[in-house]
Amino acid sequence: MRRRPAARKPTVRSTRAASAGAAEAVPEFASLPDLVVEPSAEVVLEPQVAIATQPVVAPEPVAVPGPEVEAPASTARPTPAVPKIPRKTPARKPIERTTPAAAPTERETVLVIKDLVKRFGDTVAVDHISLSVPAGSIFGIVGPNGAGKTTTLSIATGLLRPDAGTVTVHGADVWTDPVVAKRNMGVLPDRLRLFDRLTGNQLLYYAGTLRGLDAKTVKQRSADLAAAFGLEDALDRLVADYSAGMTKKVALACAMIHSPRVLILDEPFESVDPVSAANVTEILQKYVAAGGTVVLSSHSMDLIQRICDFVAIVVSGSVLASGTMDDVRGVGSLEEKFVELAGGRKTAEGMEWLHSFSD
Amino acid sequence: MVAQFLGLKLRLLANTFRRSPIQVVGIVIGLIYGLGAAMVAVIGLVGLRFIEVGLAGSITVTLGAVIVLGFLLVPLAFGVDDTLDPRAFSLFGLSTTKLATSLAITALIGVPALVIAIIAVAQVFTWARNPLAVVLAVIGAVVIVATCVLGARVTTSVAAFLLATRRSREITGLIALLVVVSLSPFAAVLATMDWGKNGLKVLASIGGILGWTPLGAVWSAPFEASAGSPGLAVLKALIGIAFVLLLWVVWRALVGRMLVTPQREGRRKSYAGLGWFRFVPHTPAGAVAARSLTYWLRDARYHTSLVAIPIAPFIFVIALAVAGVPGNILALIPVPAMCLFLSWSAHNDIAYDNSAIWLHLASNTSGRADRFGRLVPALILGIPLVIVGSPICAWLYGDWAVLPSIIGVSFCLLLAGLGLSSVISARFPYPAVRPGDSPFAQPQASGTAAGLIQSLSFFAAIVIAVPPLGLAALGLLFGGGWNFAALIAGVVLGIADIYLGVLWGGAIFRRRAPELLAFTLRN
Repeated sequence: MRRRPAARKPTVRSTRAASAGAAEAVPEFASLPDLVVEPSAEVVLEPQVAIATQPVVAPEPVAVPGPEVEAPASTARPTPAVPKIPRKTPARKPIERTTPAAAPTERETVLVIKDLVKRFGDTVAVDHISLSVPAGSIFGIVGPNGAGKTTTLSIATGLLRPDAGTVTVHGADVWTDPVVAKRNMGVLPDRLRLFDRLTGNQLLYYAGTLRGLDAKTVKQRSADLAAAFGLEDALDRLVADYSAGMTKKVALACAMIHSPRVLILDEPFESVDPVSAANVTEILQKYVAAGGTVVLSSHSMDLIQRICDFVAIVVSGSVLASGTMDDVRGVGSLEEKFVELAGGRKTAEGMEWLHSFSD
Repeated sequence: MVAQFLGLKLRLLANTFRRSPIQVVGIVIGLIYGLGAAMVAVIGLVGLRFIEVGLAGSITVTLGAVIVLGFLLVPLAFGVDDTLDPRAFSLFGLSTTKLATSLAITALIGVPALVIAIIAVAQVFTWARNPLAVVLAVIGAVVIVATCVLGARVTTSVAAFLLATRRSREITGLIALLVVVSLSPFAAVLATMDWGKNGLKVLASIGGILGWTPLGAVWSAPFEASAGSPGLAVLKALIGIAFVLLLWVVWRALVGRMLVTPQREGRRKSYAGLGWFRFVPHTPAGAVAARSLTYWLRDARYHTSLVAIPIAPFIFVIALAVAGVPGNILALIPVPAMCLFLSWSAHNDIAYDNSAIWLHLASNTSGRADRFGRLVPALILGIPLVIVGSPICAWLYGDWAVLPSIIGVSFCLLLAGLGLSSVISARFPYPAVRPGDSPFAQPQASGTAAGLIQSLSFFAAIVIAVPPLGLAALGLLFGGGWNFAALIAGVVLGIADIYLGVLWGGAIFRRRAPELLAFTLRN
């Protein structure tokens, strides 16, 4: 438990852009800490407003124009259902929230993957995988190469049709109610192309417009995202000319532009430099602090262990372990647990020729 | 000042002879070739003095316009090594007007200028028929030389200055392509007509048109004077003079601009702003359209079809001409055929996106928006093609009554073909060249399905267009109302078909989107 309350609260205080509705919930919540209904009430209500009023990504580097800052008092009691602040990142009243790990079971599960099966010919890529991801958390999926992580995430995002099983995002089934489900999802697929003959700017604009944002919002958010990901200088260049890390970052920006409730990111840190990775991590943590949910896969055990609240270890298409980070990793590190479960460690026998250098 | 520039230019010319012997030989051959051409022209122009006024006028105006056009286009197309680039003098602190004047005058020294001066003087002989004609021909000689030399100066600098970047070269390529597309009906006519019988008549009408353009006006002025219409003669002389003045203004402005603009480095493929996205409605369909337009212009794979579309119909035409189809019937073919090829070119559009199509899935883009947006580039090219090309076809055919038929059939082939492409690209994609690969690379595992789908989508568009085609045939045979029936049938059928195609294709896209993505991943 080294990370959460200590690490998250300051970010919550500094940039947390809570909605008016959530602001209303605060005093009640603070005064009735033992009311069981409360946390879920907050979670349910807040992202709705968040969707409508704010880009959940409110990265620090973005300058908030002075005049837009509203005194918290003025937003004291608007109706939560009718968001009145259509601007980006107005200053909001900082909000205390429950430590997510303290009561994980009480939180709403925002993404439910149930009994997924996917076969490619004779190979079973996904073998009855079930996962549920609570709102306001970072959920890591780890597994060896070819374990079915990408397949699972592709199915979850509606990019790949499963042979069996269901995926629900915020109550909406991805395959029967894609309009609602996909609106709530931001997707970063792995190893799929981008429309790379567009410039970075055009690609962001394209992604935002397809998501139904109006022109002004798209431009504003593109600029914010570019600043947050350090892409300002690259916006006018073709995405085809980007480095791998920059391509990943612009794809991440595209995934976030419509301020979804859930971000599903397949290998978001692959080939991203450490500084950018730290930026991305910070953006994701703030997003989660604001009520968003992140599902990501990675090969970096260290990083997963550091930033994820929950983790699932997937091997050969099945979930071998899943739960809070502390439950899964036990006393050791996540890496040790992973190697133990994946069982792939082989002692390098028969490789002695490698040590008798032939010169 | 001017004397210094002239001296500089002469020294530069002289220095060209101090290079390696092979280069000197090349220069001498060029000089002899140029002077030889000038001599042939002089003999021809003097000879024209003794033939009938109308024919002499047609010939001088047409050839003159071609010469002027050559002076304007050759530097643009091939890029000329400019020894007297205005930027070379930017550090001397000369006034713009002075520099522009000096450079323009120095441009008179050189082989091309010499050749055109000889020709310009020779045409005075052609028109030594009455006093006004001689006066206009003498003025014309000066104007011709000024037009050619100044025009070449301007386009040389434009090529060196404005077209130095990759992006602008792409745009030039596109403009050249559009010019070819719009000129191709002309070429068809010229290739298919019976020169022995109609040659003189056609030449006369071409000369008549060119005589009113800045390219040919000054050549045409003495002809009009000789033919007994002094008013027209003076008017055309004024057109020619106005064009020279315009070139001067452009040249002066260009010099002024070049002096204060440093060498344009090829900005590393930087494309400022949102491009086409600014010009489309802010809707998913609009965004898809802007994306498609951007790809048609930026992606070499689309360039190949853009080049093929204006050329392919002429292969048709030549084949039919060899088979003995009369020339005026052939004139009806190019525009409808181009529409067919244009609409057909969209029939595998999704495969061109490759796996980038995931963005449309993830953002739940409606099938209709995806389908319609992709058709927009073809519509933007095709509709002007029908509007501009059909009258040319009708004119070449020789009977304006067929115009409604041509429009109807072309329109139907364009729209119905696009509707069909919209369905086929969603239902039957086949492997295409991947993004970034050479457009001439063969996709892996294209298989026999590809060929089948290609022919199916091509001939199905023709089958859909059978009603307007049939009515047009009746129009050709019986004339009158059938032509208008073909127009109405074509437009109605075309619009209905593209509408239904977008709806149906959109429904298929919505239903099969994951399978489409899986398909692109298999490539």
